[in-house]
Amino acid sequence: MIELSSLIAGVVLLLLLMGLATKGWLAARHLQEPALETGEADVAQPCPDVFVSRVFSRGDWEFVHGLGTDDIQRLFKRERKNVALVWVRQISAMIKKAMREHAGVARQSKNLEFSTEIRIFAQFLTLMAVCGILSIAIQTAGPLSLAGLAHFVQRLSLRIVKVQGSFQPAPLVKSAGHA
Amino acid sequence: MLSQAIWWSCIVLEVLLLIRAVSGRLISRYPVFYGYIFFVFSQSILRSLVYRWGGKLYNPVYWTTEFLGFVMGCWVVLEIYRVALAAYPGTAKMARQVLAFLFALAAAKAIAALWNDPNLVLETTPLQMERALRTVQAIAIVALVTVFAVYSIPFGRNLRGILLGYGLFIGQRVICLTFIPPQGHHFWFYAYSASYAVTLSLWLAYLWSYQPSAVPAGSLELEQDYQRTAAVTRRRLQAAGGYLRKAVRP
Repeated sequence: MIELSSLIAGVVLLLLLMGLATKGWLAARHLQEPALETGEADVAQPCPDVFVSRVFSRGDWEFVHGLGTDDIQRLFKRERKNVALVWVRQISAMIKKAMREHAGVARQSKNLEFSTEIRIFAQFLTLMAVCGILSIAIQTAGPLSLAGLAHFVQRLSLRIVKVQGSFQPAPLVKSAGHA
Repeated sequence: MLSQAIWWSCIVLEVLLLIRAVSGRLISRYPVFYGYIFFVFSQSILRSLVYRWGGKLYNPVYWTTEFLGFVMGCWVVLEIYRVALAAYPGTAKMARQVLAFLFALAAAKAIAALWNDPNLVLETTPLQMERALRTVQAIAIVALVTVFAVYSIPFGRNLRGILLGYGLFIGQRVICLTFIPPQGHHFWFYAYSASYAVTLSLWLAYLWSYQPSAVPAGSLELEQDYQRTAAVTRRRLQAAGGYLRKAVRP
């Protein structure tokens, strides 16, 4: 067990240092205004709600599908996927920008709070993970299937809860029914 | 023959590093780091003398100097922390809390292991002990580097080299110690020795001359701003989460 944890610690450390050496993390840069990543400067205002609803809704697809032309359908799917991916990248850049600006203030603050920082960092990691999952889902299933996927997962989880309930011993189910 | 070559290359690299430290006046900037290099240099000479003429003394001398080297290494990590975060009290506080948490966790794990098996200390070989200590050191460095990266702490070339080299050395050593057999000269034995020569070459490249670290421009009015900034950040992140939810619930 100790061997495995040692191995993991060593490998993680080497990978982290590789990132440090190749990606230029911790390299001295201008402190006043860190350079923004490509596209990050454009995310001061997020996309309007109508745009987002449109990208992920099936309304336009049903219209294009109704035309019955394969080329147009393929083009529509490709373009919609690209737009959806750009949108996820924009949101991801927005999250990184918020975190970078927060870190810029927090690193020099003497009254920084450990618990607040951990909560913010956990929130940041969760959102970045969601962006990653969303990107993969858009790449594989396409933006039009996302709502369908979400409904499928919701139905599946409800079914699992129901099945779990049916495995409970009879008195428990009974008492739960009375509660 | 190969181990002789590794040993001599390490000695030459250490001497070169110390010469550059004195001629480039780096020694006054990073006294603990160069103290560590001087210690390792003296330790290599002492071990070789004892190996030739000391007979049975070699084993206790080897392990004593090895654990002293570990303590000096921890001091080097503290120097990196001190120099890098001198101008960043917020990140320094965060790093202290993270390290304290990790050391408390390691201490609790050691106490629990001793509680379960009181003979553990007698049964543990020095090699296993070193592996456990180096693992804790590796985890501490991972935590420190993560904190530096999250808060975008700018490092000068010299300090970056010290961190990279020492981290690389500890990472390699932990991996080698996982696979190294207790006896004999195998691949992992040579990899274990050669890892230090690689580290010394890296240090020599990064510490050839003094290059100052970037200093933050002026102090901001932050004391009253932190709570407000944290609240704003959380609101912005929550808003981003709201946008992402729209993708599945348009």
